[in-house]
Amino acid sequence: MSSVRTSLTTALVATVLTVALSACGPRPDPVHKEQILAMGTMVNITLWGVDNDVAQKAFTAANQDFNYMQTAYHPWKPGPMGRTNQLLALDAWFSANPSVLPLIKRAKALYHASDGLFNPAIGRLIGLWGFHSDTLPKGPPPSKAAIERLVAQHPTMDDIQIKGIRVRSTNPAVQLDTGGFAKGYAVDRVIDHLRRLGVSNAIVDAGGDLRAIGSHGGEPWHIGIRDPSAPGILAEVDVKGDESVFTSGVYERFYMYKGKRYHHIIDPRTGYPARGTTSATVIGSDGATSDAAATALLIAGPKLWHRVAESMGIKYAMLVASDGTVYMNPAMAKRMHFEHKPPKVVLSAPL
Amino acid sequence: MTRADIVVLVLALALLPMLYVKFWHHGAAGDEVRIMVDGKPWQVVSLKHDRRVTVHGALGDSVLEIKHGAVRFIASPCPSKYCIHSGWLHDGGEFTACLPNRVSIEVIGARARYDAINF
Repeated sequence: MSSVRTSLTTALVATVLTVALSACGPRPDPVHKEQILAMGTMVNITLWGVDNDVAQKAFTAANQDFNYMQTAYHPWKPGPMGRTNQLLALDAWFSANPSVLPLIKRAKALYHASDGLFNPAIGRLIGLWGFHSDTLPKGPPPSKAAIERLVAQHPTMDDIQIKGIRVRSTNPAVQLDTGGFAKGYAVDRVIDHLRRLGVSNAIVDAGGDLRAIGSHGGEPWHIGIRDPSAPGILAEVDVKGDESVFTSGVYERFYMYKGKRYHHIIDPRTGYPARGTTSATVIGSDGATSDAAATALLIAGPKLWHRVAESMGIKYAMLVASDGTVYMNPAMAKRMHFEHKPPKVVLSAPL
Repeated sequence: MTRADIVVLVLALALLPMLYVKFWHHGAAGDEVRIMVDGKPWQVVSLKHDRRVTVHGALGDSVLEIKHGAVRFIASPCPSKYCIHSGWLHDGGEFTACLPNRVSIEVIGARARYDAINF
């Protein structure tokens, strides 16, 4: 009798365990994904927990929004921002296109918060380096004299005055290039739109910079942060609720000339590509601030990044220096799950 | 407990780790690669068989190599060669693109290990 009971129990336990585990098989994950070519990059949109109709509406809306903003914010092609740049050079008041006004106001605030390191008024310098082109420049780099001349003119966001919709620049050297944060700003607008359409769980990822809202079926979204110096993933970070993850890296756009590397993140203080940092990653609330902060921290470098992050209200930041050293604040360190231990980690004071 | 019971128990217990690895292990290698051209799905190719795939994009041909369950760009007519520098993609959710040629690839699996890759 006891042998029968044991047999039954054994069979029961084995069956329950087997069925329980196999029930967790790879059911199709209820996600919808879409890719859009916009803002000079590949935009990936992931939605969770909506039906097909809502997903299609959301993708169409995102596509239209990104295409509109791509034209509106493009710094050197014909369009609202291109036109604004022409008018800024005239030293006279003009009526700005309503599509660019909020962007300019936001850029002024972020310029101040970053101590001038995030400076979208240096469009002329970025153009001088050859980065106002769809294809990468081949060099040679601009002459020292030409760079010094533009730096001496000291174009800043403070030179732009705004009264209602009227705008002027008091410095003819000011040309706006919002490449450092337009992507983040656009991601914010699309997230707002998706929410209005009833989407609560989504990632809008514009070429590796993203904002994630809600969750992946109650679980956090898993974000891999690509290693800036080797193929593969440097670390994983989980986000849930509403957070943006933005990285600025010197490997994104660059050219080689006579064995030297010239990248697209220009330090407004020197007029040359920022030195000392390979990438800066920020986890923040909205996309625009996180995008601008990632650019500013990369320019700030290992010595100044903490001060700039503090003044921009950033709570989680990481810098990878040119020698591979990883700088982080303690709260960021807690969230980063490294795939391989970095050669050297320097923890800052809390932010 | 009879000999048959022991056999059943041993078999069931042997099955458990296999099921765990197959279904519960996070970041399982992907099974297929989804190739997109100009933002639209072009082909889904299995990663089980080693081969090369030529994708005709906006600028010319991008060549993908599939080997040992992973995929990478080995040639593309773009100036930066960023797609080639991305190296091997192996886990579900890993993604890279040759933007100038408008060709992108994403490894697909059950739930991808990463929902997005930040760079």
